[in-house]
Amino acid sequence: MRVDPFYVTNLVGSLDQAQTSEQQLSSELSSGVSINSLSQNPVGAGENVLLLNQIQQDDSFTQSANQVTGQLQVADSALGSVVTELTSAISLATSANNGTMNSSDVKSIATQISGILDEVQSLANTSYQGQYIFSGSQTSTSPFTTSTGTSPAVTSYNGDENVNYLESPNGQKIQLNVPGNQIFLGSGSNSVFGALNSLVADYASGTVNTAQAVTDTGALSTALNYVSQQRVTIDNSITQTTAASDAVTNVQTQLTTAQTNLMQADIPTISTQLSLAETQQTALEDVIAQLNSTSNDLFSKLH
Amino acid sequence: MGTINSALSIVSQALDANQQALNVVANNVANANTPGYTVEAPNWQENQPVSIGGVSVGQGVTETGATSQRDRVLESRLDQQQQLAASSGSRLTALNTLQALFTPDSGSSSSNAGDIGSDITSFFDSFSQLEANPANNAERQSVLSAASTLAGDISNAAASLNSQSAALGQEASGVTSQVNSLTSAIAQLNQQIMTTSPNGDAGTLEDQRQQDISQLSKLIGINQIITENNGLAITTTSGQLLLSEGTSYQLTTGTVNGTTSFFLNNSNITSQLAAGGGSLGGTLTALGQDIPGALNSLDQLAYSISTSVNAQNNAGTDLNGVSGSAANPLYIFNQPAAVAGSAATMSVVMTDPNQIAAASTAEGSGGSSNATVMAALANQSIVNGQTPINYYSNFVTSLGATVSSAQTENTAQNASVTQLQTQNNALSGVNLNDEASAMTAYERSYQAASQVFTMLDSIMASALNLGDTTAVT
Repeated sequence: MRVDPFYVTNLVGSLDQAQTSEQQLSSELSSGVSINSLSQNPVGAGENVLLLNQIQQDDSFTQSANQVTGQLQVADSALGSVVTELTSAISLATSANNGTMNSSDVKSIATQISGILDEVQSLANTSYQGQYIFSGSQTSTSPFTTSTGTSPAVTSYNGDENVNYLESPNGQKIQLNVPGNQIFLGSGSNSVFGALNSLVADYASGTVNTAQAVTDTGALSTALNYVSQQRVTIDNSITQTTAASDAVTNVQTQLTTAQTNLMQADIPTISTQLSLAETQQTALEDVIAQLNSTSNDLFSKLH
Repeated sequence: MGTINSALSIVSQALDANQQALNVVANNVANANTPGYTVEAPNWQENQPVSIGGVSVGQGVTETGATSQRDRVLESRLDQQQQLAASSGSRLTALNTLQALFTPDSGSSSSNAGDIGSDITSFFDSFSQLEANPANNAERQSVLSAASTLAGDISNAAASLNSQSAALGQEASGVTSQVNSLTSAIAQLNQQIMTTSPNGDAGTLEDQRQQDISQLSKLIGINQIITENNGLAITTTSGQLLLSEGTSYQLTTGTVNGTTSFFLNNSNITSQLAAGGGSLGGTLTALGQDIPGALNSLDQLAYSISTSVNAQNNAGTDLNGVSGSAANPLYIFNQPAAVAGSAATMSVVMTDPNQIAAASTAEGSGGSSNATVMAALANQSIVNGQTPINYYSNFVTSLGATVSSAQTENTAQNASVTQLQTQNNALSGVNLNDEASAMTAYERSYQAASQVFTMLDSIMASALNLGDTTAVT
């Protein structure tokens, strides 16, 4: 049987292959990444794109949620202060309504309630990072102004009814603001500014029309309850944001684990493969050296 | 009846024949490492016996030259397989360069740079962050910067693909001069072979011709047709005549519609060459199929993202309270006219972050519902019926699968080439051990013949002296 006299060339080819595989395994070890090119694992590479997309989305939502929470807390604390202010206005009105005060005391009550009105209006005009938070989408417009031309004075709303939402990666919509007119200018007896303006007018002259003043005080209580109700919407949003952010963080942790499992090089397996490739390389080198030595040739045996 | 003289003649012929055979061995050993050399075996021929008085008497041996040990079928099988292997090899090289543009992102923050998948995500994420804080300048700025990164990475990838395409085009044109010099060399060898040995193996000339054919096979796909008088015609795989006996036809290149094209006798055979094999076939496949495919996917992605985002931004109201209109469009990206070329020209044209229309037209400038819609584009089937990220993921998977299958194909073809090469080497390669043993045999044979000659010489002397041993020695 004839044999290929150039078999050493084939062995050198195998040696090249062994070295290539060593190179590849070393690069996996040094980078710690199992998929260094698309062709190594096309499906894995595609899946990696999708996993990273979700992870980044989740990460971005968590950041947005933090920021949104800050804004919602500013709104909540503003409304908290409004409640405090209104509570003191009600107690001032109640003391004025019991008929024991003289004219100058009543006027002083009017001045105090007027001060509260200013305070509430400034709270309703609260801004966060330069944007008014109770003006709907008209965030560059101060939402409430009071015109004193009439008696009682009229506080009007310059914002709009639009509500902004934050959408979580799984599509949940979280309300980010409550338009100011809904909180402070509710219809009928739900209007905070209406009730405050009426009370200021009631007491401004020093003589109290008790029946009217009691009705207006009642309206202010109703309006206070109404503000508290609107505040619940904000509180709910804070809770929802925190819950959504936590849920997303959980998902993100799971996805990151999946992505790491997909892309991370399996060190023990690679080390074993590398050691096998090295052994093969040494063996091949020995065989080639042996075959190339001159004593393996019939010519060297001739005399 | 034989005579001492005739015996001497037989022996001297044997000495000659053995010397010639040793010559063949020497030539084999000398050419042991010559590329394309085919081992030669001496031809031994028994001389015609003479019949003397009804007795047939042998007349010795003649060495009639050497015959190359070759198997034309095996050689042509090897050539064919080499065409396939060279084709998949050069395509694989091109594909490896191509896929290096889309190296998978390991997920660490340092690897994000240049990854189009991450860019797409970051871009749409910047809108969801804007939706939480629509009037914030930093958030608006980050939308524009994410848009620039996305546009930059897509247009860079497209530019790299285009320059790879240009480089491959030049490489392919370079092959033609090699093909032409090989075909004219083969044509010349054909003429010499047809003149010197029309009926038999032409030995060295044929080795050279075979070597040239083998070189040619690595470059382009060919068919070989043996013609009369040991001539040869070679066509491309699809049948265009490259050379016929002593005449060769030149392959020329030119540019048709911006792509490198190949002509033979004034007809464009680029597509036939691409399908034909050889390194040129592989390069042309990459040039005509793989790179345009990748480029088209990027174009589609760039076109869809640019147009959808532009349309949506134009449908809203920016921070200055301005709504988009046909006359003064609020475009974030350079609005592409057609899908083709969108990737290369993708760029951000918006310079003022306040022009991002986070609010819908019904809202004040602090509204965010348009930003919500733009963020939601990430999950809408805006690119060929798929979401942008799914489209990119599928693109990456299918590119990876193409490279992987080219790899598998190339490995299998190379293994087959190696196998055929081994078979061919076993037949036609110079095996030094065989030569050593043949040399020993011929040497022994020569020694034996010279011994016989010496014996005959002394017998002749005895005959001349007729018993007197001193007269002639």
